[in-house]
Amino acid sequence: MKILGHSFEDGKITFEAENFVIRLKVKKIPEGYIISGEIKGKPKRVEIFRTEMPEIFFINNWQSWGPAKKMKRGEKLKIPEKILENFGYGFNPNPHLFEQNVVSDYFYGEKKLVVGFLSSKYAHPFFLFDGHEVVGYLDYFEATYEDFIPLEPLIILHGNLDDLLPVYAEYVKLKNNLQITKRNPVGWSSWYQYFSKLTWEDILKNLGLAKEYLYEVFQIDDSWEIDIGDWQPNEKFPPLEEMAKTIRKHGFIPGIWIAPFSVSETSLLAKNHKDWLVKDENDSPLLAYRNWNKNIYALDITNEEAAKWLKNIFKRLKDAGFEYFKIDFLFAGAIPGKRHLNISPIEAYRLGLKFIREVVEDSFILGCGAPLLPSVGLVDGMRIGPDTAPYYNPETPGAFIPNAFYALRNTITRYYMNGKWWWNDPDCLLLRNIDTELNLWEKKAYAFVSGMLNNMIIQSDDLSLSIERYLLDSALKLRGGRAFVKGLMEEVYEIFAEGTGIGNVKLRINLKKERSELSVDEKSIKLLKQVKTKGDGRKFNYYQQKGDDKDA
Amino acid sequence: MLELRYNPLTDEWIIVSAFTQKRPTRPKTTECPICPGGVEFPGTYDLVSFDNKYPSLQLNPPNVVSESPILKRKPAKGNCEVIVYTSNHQSSLSEMPLLQIEKLIEMWVDRTRDLMQYNFVKYIFIFENRGQEVGASLEHPHGQLYAFPFIPIRISRKLDAFEKGYEEHKKCVICKILEEELSKKERIVYENETMITIVPFYARFPYEVHIYPKRHVDSFLYLSGQEKKDLAKALKIITMKYDRLFNIPFPYMMMFFQSPVNTKDFSRIFHFHVEFNPPKRDKNKIKWMASVETGTWTFINPKIPEEAAQELRNIKVEVK
Repeated sequence: MKILGHSFEDGKITFEAENFVIRLKVKKIPEGYIISGEIKGKPKRVEIFRTEMPEIFFINNWQSWGPAKKMKRGEKLKIPEKILENFGYGFNPNPHLFEQNVVSDYFYGEKKLVVGFLSSKYAHPFFLFDGHEVVGYLDYFEATYEDFIPLEPLIILHGNLDDLLPVYAEYVKLKNNLQITKRNPVGWSSWYQYFSKLTWEDILKNLGLAKEYLYEVFQIDDSWEIDIGDWQPNEKFPPLEEMAKTIRKHGFIPGIWIAPFSVSETSLLAKNHKDWLVKDENDSPLLAYRNWNKNIYALDITNEEAAKWLKNIFKRLKDAGFEYFKIDFLFAGAIPGKRHLNISPIEAYRLGLKFIREVVEDSFILGCGAPLLPSVGLVDGMRIGPDTAPYYNPETPGAFIPNAFYALRNTITRYYMNGKWWWNDPDCLLLRNIDTELNLWEKKAYAFVSGMLNNMIIQSDDLSLSIERYLLDSALKLRGGRAFVKGLMEEVYEIFAEGTGIGNVKLRINLKKERSELSVDEKSIKLLKQVKTKGDGRKFNYYQQKGDDKDA
Repeated sequence: MLELRYNPLTDEWIIVSAFTQKRPTRPKTTECPICPGGVEFPGTYDLVSFDNKYPSLQLNPPNVVSESPILKRKPAKGNCEVIVYTSNHQSSLSEMPLLQIEKLIEMWVDRTRDLMQYNFVKYIFIFENRGQEVGASLEHPHGQLYAFPFIPIRISRKLDAFEKGYEEHKKCVICKILEEELSKKERIVYENETMITIVPFYARFPYEVHIYPKRHVDSFLYLSGQEKKDLAKALKIITMKYDRLFNIPFPYMMMFFQSPVNTKDFSRIFHFHVEFNPPKRDKNKIKWMASVETGTWTFINPKIPEEAAQELRNIKVEVK
C-alpha cells in the first residue's frame, strides 16, 4: 500500500512534479490513517494511492443511480450499449475510463479494508481497478490553482467492511462538518404512476384522496414544464402559484421536480443562450446525455448570466409557494468541459448547488442523479439508487435501468450514508395492486427495508386504486431507529434496526430469492403521551401505559 | 439572571441561574407541589415530565452579549425537566412496582428522543438526587433531566477515555471490563440476563455501584425490551439493597450516561451505563466532596470496593 509511491508511515511527504506540488501529512486514527494535505499548480489527474487488487471488492458509482455492490476481479458491469451511449457521463465524469475498466468512485472496500476520500470539493476522487492493482486518483481536470488548496483527504480503515462503511461515512460527516435537517419527509410523488403523462386533473384527484394518508409533502414530478430548461408550466398545468396554493390548501408542503443543470436542445434557453452551455473542445455545446428523445446540454453555472437565470428560476418557484425541490439529473452540472471560468467541474457543480441553496434557504432539497460526495452539505435528501419501477427483476442488467430490485439493493448497500450525509431517498413505494407487476413480498420488502433504514418515505400511486395501504403505515412505524447492516458483500443481508417506532427489529433478507425473516422485539411497554402547556408556557408531558386508563 | 459563563482556567462552561435560588426546600407532604392536587398538578396522573419552574437551562433563554474576549458569556439554551416517577408521594425506586420502573424507563427513552430533535442539544443527562445529603429539595419520588447545549466536561473526559481505550484494546472499554468482571466475579453485586451491577474497581465513593448492559449499546434509545425490563429490575434491586444497608432511606446521586446527540457518532466506543454515587460511608458518616475531590478531581475512597461489593451482595432482597 503506497501513497505517492511512499510508505505512508513516513509522516510528511512532499511531492513535486513538473506542473504541481503536493504536501501531505499522515495522521494515525484508531481505525487506521488519514492522509491530508494541500496541492497547487495544474495537477490534472494525480495518483494518490496504490495497492494490490483483491479477489473480491466493493465498489461505489459516482452518482445516485449507479451501483454500490460487490464485484470479483475480472468482472465487468453489464451495461447495454444504448444506455452507455446515451448516459456516458451518467456513469462517470470520464466515460472512457469507465468503459474500459472497473472504477469505484469516492471509496472502495475489501473484506478487511475500506479506503476512501473524505471530500470532493475541488477534485473528483476515484479508484481504478487496473491490472492487478487498485489505484486511487484525484482528478482536477483542467483547473489550475495558483495557491495551495486543501487536498481531498484520504482515509484508510482496517477491520470488517460491514463495520467500516459506517465509520467511513462518519469521517465524511466530520470532515465536511455536516449537520443535516431533522426533517425526514413522508410524501407523495406523481412519477411512478403517471410518468410524463401527468395532468393537473390527476393532481387534483390525488390531492382529494391524500388526506387519508400521513403525507407531509405532495410533489409534482416531471411533466409540468414546457421543456427541459424552459421552467414554466405547460398548457396542461395552471400557473405555479395556483399549483402550490392548491397543494397547500390540502394541508401539504408543495413539492416540485426540476432538472436545474440540464438544457434540452429544443428549449428556448438553448436556442437563445448558447453561450450559457458547457462546451466541447470545438466550442460546440457538449452533449451531457440523451433523454426525452432529445440531446441534453449542461448549464455553465460559471457564466454570471446563467447563474443569475438559475437563481431566478428557484426564486420564482419559492415565491410561488414551493418548499420541497426534487432536483434531478444533477450529474450534468459536473461534466468536464469548457466553462466560462477555469474551475474544475466539481467546483462548478458545488457552486450551482450553493446558488440553489442560497435562494431556497431552508426549503427541502432532494438531490437525484447526483454526484454523491460533492453534494454533501448542500442537499437535505439524496436518491441513492437507480429508479424503482412497477417490476422487480434480478435477472436484467442493473445499471441505470429502472428496476425495483436494483433500487432496493442500493437502498441497502448505501444505507450508511443515511442520517449522516443526508436522508437517503430509497425511491418511491409502489403499493398499488393493479398497473404493477410487483408481488406482495416485493412491496413488503421495499416498505420494511425503507422504514427500518429510517429513509425518506415517498409513495407514488394513483390513490383511487386498490392499495396495500397498511404497508405505508408499517414503513412509517419502522422508522425513527438506527440501522446496521451485516453482509454487504454477501447474498443475504441482515438488517438490525434499534429504537424504531416498534422497538428493536431484525430482518434477514435475500433479495434474489425473495426470502426474508423478520423478528420484532415485542417486550417493550408502550406508553401513551399527552402534552399540555401551562399558562406560564411550560410544557407538561403526561405518560401512561397504553390500554391503562387507571391512575397508578 | 440566567446565562452560561466560560471558565478559561478549566475550559468549561458554568451555568449561572438565579432561578434555582427560589425553589422550595423540602415542603411538607400536604404542600408537595408535585403531588396530585399540588401546585403543579390539579388532577391526577401516572408519570409526568415537565419543564422545571426553576431552570438552569431554557429553550428560549434571555439573550446575553459577551463583551470580553476572555470572560465569555452565552445564552443558557437547553432544557431542564422534572421527571415525576409516580403520583405516590411515599414511594421511591426501591418501593415502586417493577412495572412502574419499566414505564419510567420508557418515559426516559421518550424524553431523550424528544429533546434530541433540537439540533443545539448535545447531551441529555438524566439523574436523580435522593435525600437532603445530596441536595434533593422534594421528597416526592422524582428525578431530573438536563438537555445541555454542550458536552459537559466530565462527559467529555469519559469520551476521551473511551476513545483512548478503544484504540488500546480494539474494543469498547466497558465491554473489555465486563470480560474481566464476569470472569472474576469479586465485584459483582447483582446480575441478570442482560445487565450487570458492580462496585467498580475504580469506585470513587464508598458504596458506588455501576450498572452496565452486557451487550454493547450506547443509549437508552437502543435498549431492547428485555434489557429495559432487566434494567428496571437492577435499579430496584440496587436501591433496595441500599435501603437495607443501614436501614435508612439511602441517599444517592443516580446518573445515566448515554452517548451525546447531534454531534460525532460515539456509538462504537461509548457504552451506556448508570452510576450510583452515594455520599454515605456509614450510617451517620458522609463521604464529603471536600477540597481534594473538588479541587483536584482526585477521590480518596475509604472503602475497599471489593468489600463494599461483598456487603451489598450479601444483602438479600426479593423482587416479585
